[in-house]
Amino acid sequence: MSSKRHSILPPVSQSGPKPPVHFSSSITIADSALLIGTNLIVIHSESVIHPRAKLDSLAGRITVGRRCIVHERATLGAVGTSGKITEAAVTLGDYVTVEVGASIEAGETVIGEGTVVGVGARVGAGAVVGKHCTLTPHTEIAAGEVVPDFTVVYSNGMRRTDKRGVAELKNKGQARQIDVLRRMIPSNPAKFA
Amino acid sequence: MSRRPPRGEYIETDTGNKVARKATLVGTQNIMLGGKTVIQPEVMIRGDLIRTIQASSQSASGAPPNNTAVSIGRYCFLSRGCCLRPPGRLYKGTFTYMPLRMGDHVFVGPGSVIQAASVGSHVHIGTNVVVGEFAIIKDYVRILDGTVVPPNMVIPSLSIVAGQPARLIGEVPEGGHEAFELRDLYKTVGNNPQPAPS
Repeated sequence: MSSKRHSILPPVSQSGPKPPVHFSSSITIADSALLIGTNLIVIHSESVIHPRAKLDSLAGRITVGRRCIVHERATLGAVGTSGKITEAAVTLGDYVTVEVGASIEAGETVIGEGTVVGVGARVGAGAVVGKHCTLTPHTEIAAGEVVPDFTVVYSNGMRRTDKRGVAELKNKGQARQIDVLRRMIPSNPAKFA
Repeated sequence: MSRRPPRGEYIETDTGNKVARKATLVGTQNIMLGGKTVIQPEVMIRGDLIRTIQASSQSASGAPPNNTAVSIGRYCFLSRGCCLRPPGRLYKGTFTYMPLRMGDHVFVGPGSVIQAASVGSHVHIGTNVVVGEFAIIKDYVRILDGTVVPPNMVIPSLSIVAGQPARLIGEVPEGGHEAFELRDLYKTVGNNPQPAPS
């Protein structure tokens, strides 16, 4: 082959304004994460942002708590149909996991401590998800909905309460996972500063 | 006139793999492709999530650590926007990722996310399917569109599954094996694609 083989990792298009950021020194953020918008993006200590995750602060401030994991292709602060600008677009509590391709829309949306937002799930604008909830893959939470603590949403909107009482264990597991991810994902917070 | 051929949409390797230039492969050194595999644009493979704990038999023999994170067999077809990532869990008190193994003639539909421990041969995975962590999919399995396979599920050979969460809804009929063959599909993509035989 005469043509030079180009990098298999295409560059991430940095479109739009570069948002102001406030990072803790202990976070891990991949080089190819996408941070756009005009409002402040705050990421608290030991959180991990995977490659190609998208944080969009165009509609308000994005806050990511301690020891959160935002997986690839997840979107925080997606501008939904409403498109209004609020003070705090998306707030994640501590120990929140946002899995692959999940989308959390902007507009005072709150995700409580220890909640797992499953693969491809969608949380509407202004929804308040309680602590230690599990949203299984492809779950949709409507805009403005309030989900109580320890709720499991599964199978197209069925709900039950998680009575296992494993929240502490889950948080410990998350800390272990972050220890490993920190070694695997090359972090480059300087790029976004 | 330049003799250099125009740069195609795909990179075609010596072993016949067709990898789209717009695919996102992270940690390429840990991704094994068996050959004749098609990777369409916007596919993401997380090869950087390697296992951190080696099997005890390996560490004892002093063999070099096997860092393969994702291994894919021959004639696999990864459609646009799908994502393969190795599953991870706590093992002996520490967190580790485990390799994702995929057999031959596996079709992965657009937008699907695969975190299985192993996928057999001749498996058809539909559109927007989620395969949970450490699921084991055996040979000749058909997973219909929009299915959510829960973590740790084992899907036996020749079954058809669908639903959220996935349930067994049927079996592959007698003589239905040929439909899993992906050789013809392989020829229809690439830099000089051929029309599908009618």
